[in-house]
Amino acid sequence: MTARSMETGVSAAGRAVGTQGVWARIWQQDGPGYLFLLPWFIGFFGLTVGPMLTSLYLSFTNFDLLTTPDWIGASNYVRMFTADPKFAAAMRVTFFFVLFSVPLKLAFALGVAMLLNRGLKGLPLYRAIFYLPSLIGASVAIAILWRQLFSGDGLVNQFLANFGIDGPSWISNPRYSLWTLIILSIWQFGSPMIIFLAGLRQIPQDMYEAASLDGASKWRQFWKITLPLLTPVVFFNAIVQTIEAFKSFTPAFVISGGTGQPINSTLFYTLYLYQEAFGFFRMGYASALAWFLLVMIAAFTAFSFLTSKYWVHYDD
Amino acid sequence: MTTDVQTLTVVGTETSRTRRHIISVVSHVLLVGASILMLYPLLWMLASTFRPENEIFSSSSLWPSSFSIDSYIRGWNGLRVSFGTFFLNSFVIAILCVAGNVLACSMTAFAFARLKFRGRNFWFALMLMTLMLPYHVTLIPQYVLFLNLGWVNTFLPLIVPKFLASDAFFIFLMVQFFRGIPRELDEAAMMDGCSAWRIYWKVMMPLSLPVLATAAIFTFIWTWDDFLGPLIYLNEMRQYTVQLGLRTFVDSTGESDFGGMLAMSVLTIVPVFLFFLFFQRLLIEGIATTGMKR
Repeated sequence: MTARSMETGVSAAGRAVGTQGVWARIWQQDGPGYLFLLPWFIGFFGLTVGPMLTSLYLSFTNFDLLTTPDWIGASNYVRMFTADPKFAAAMRVTFFFVLFSVPLKLAFALGVAMLLNRGLKGLPLYRAIFYLPSLIGASVAIAILWRQLFSGDGLVNQFLANFGIDGPSWISNPRYSLWTLIILSIWQFGSPMIIFLAGLRQIPQDMYEAASLDGASKWRQFWKITLPLLTPVVFFNAIVQTIEAFKSFTPAFVISGGTGQPINSTLFYTLYLYQEAFGFFRMGYASALAWFLLVMIAAFTAFSFLTSKYWVHYDD
Repeated sequence: MTTDVQTLTVVGTETSRTRRHIISVVSHVLLVGASILMLYPLLWMLASTFRPENEIFSSSSLWPSSFSIDSYIRGWNGLRVSFGTFFLNSFVIAILCVAGNVLACSMTAFAFARLKFRGRNFWFALMLMTLMLPYHVTLIPQYVLFLNLGWVNTFLPLIVPKFLASDAFFIFLMVQFFRGIPRELDEAAMMDGCSAWRIYWKVMMPLSLPVLATAAIFTFIWTWDDFLGPLIYLNEMRQYTVQLGLRTFVDSTGESDFGGMLAMSVLTIVPVFLFFLFFQRLLIEGIATTGMKR
């Protein structure tokens, strides 16, 4: 607070024009800040807060884009939880996806990061190769490639045929279709890996040397030094990747042709939301779905932060 | 760099050196194996685009028996509107989004990082909260808004929000960077009577080229790959982006013209791949630093 005048000199300037009245002084002090924030303010209120409140309102209506919305109370939410098997399917699919793709992806990312952190030659090359899929993985092109890889006569089955295995059409079999998407997600482990690498670099080497002198095995060093010191990074990666997984859309849309089939096995939550909003124009119901997604993500984030003090280790 | 330090500190007995050697070989074998596994699908896709159509499904090798660019020619004109139009649309949208994000996010970040005004911490906290917000919750009212403005079927709903600093991630990234620039520089400029705008434009911007470049490249790649936005707002094929064009290709001819579809898929990846090739360091550092901030 006291640093204000020193930091910007604005107060000094404000004093000089003090005679022009209090408004001039306020303008002098706060004007530039708010002017710079003007674009953000328009966006924040016009594209974020306003629409959020509107969609909260719409979630209690039967809005269909054409007629004026009628207030129908909580019946959208009631329908969601009691009378909508597709919603239940979407929840199952999404949670299954999050529960398997996020831990596996992070485990891969950490494992490879630790291999790379041993000071091997060719680190930049390996890092680049592993990072590439994260960069292009969200595109339609990769979803198309995936569809081909795991189709009945795709590359995966050609490979399996070498061992005499006659693989199914992974994409169109409801038992495996979701797993192809989980594999696609794990394939993109590069960006959490880079963050893990940056975290590993910050662990002081002398801790390991001291531990080795005391006779601690590598395994023990991992559990007692590496992992505890890395928990802030694990925490960050887990939150980001989980939210991303909840929001995943393009691969499921392209691979299932926008349907979430077979038998709703790839009906991601966001895909179902899209179908309801822009396929059937049940905008009120879709708004309820959107708000429930927000609640789930907020609850997950809050839970993570609240429990973080028990397992995230900050060295200060 | 770290290699030397590590190896120097563990000049141990002969056995431990052999052991380290074995571990290093095993690590390389693992990593090379993983690299091949990761890249094989991509290389296979590339190779397939040069194969004659009938060979695509029968061959898993990475070297086509004969080279032909027929797939590219067929794919380019596979739809009623050529892929040239889709590429042009995607470039126009991506470049305008880059301009919007770099300008608006840096202005916002400058205010949060450097200017003093009442309520700054409050607004900053709100901005951080929007980082976590799933866009679905604003999607429908935004659509209604843009529909009423007559903007559906134009590029405006995809571009205008970027000029309103709607990407909180980049604001956050830039605030972190700006805070690292020595305050003496803008204080000196302030003493000389520079306005806030001049400090922003003449002092901060030139010093922030790395973070601006990172933001620009990520914006380009994410806009280029964006699928949901164009899917919702663009209905005329003449306005399609490459992602929409590809998806339409899959739905209409995908089963019959596999070569064309894979060829166009490869082409849509090329711009992103070029960014990756030339700006890899910036991208990797960008990711590493955002991850390290608490």
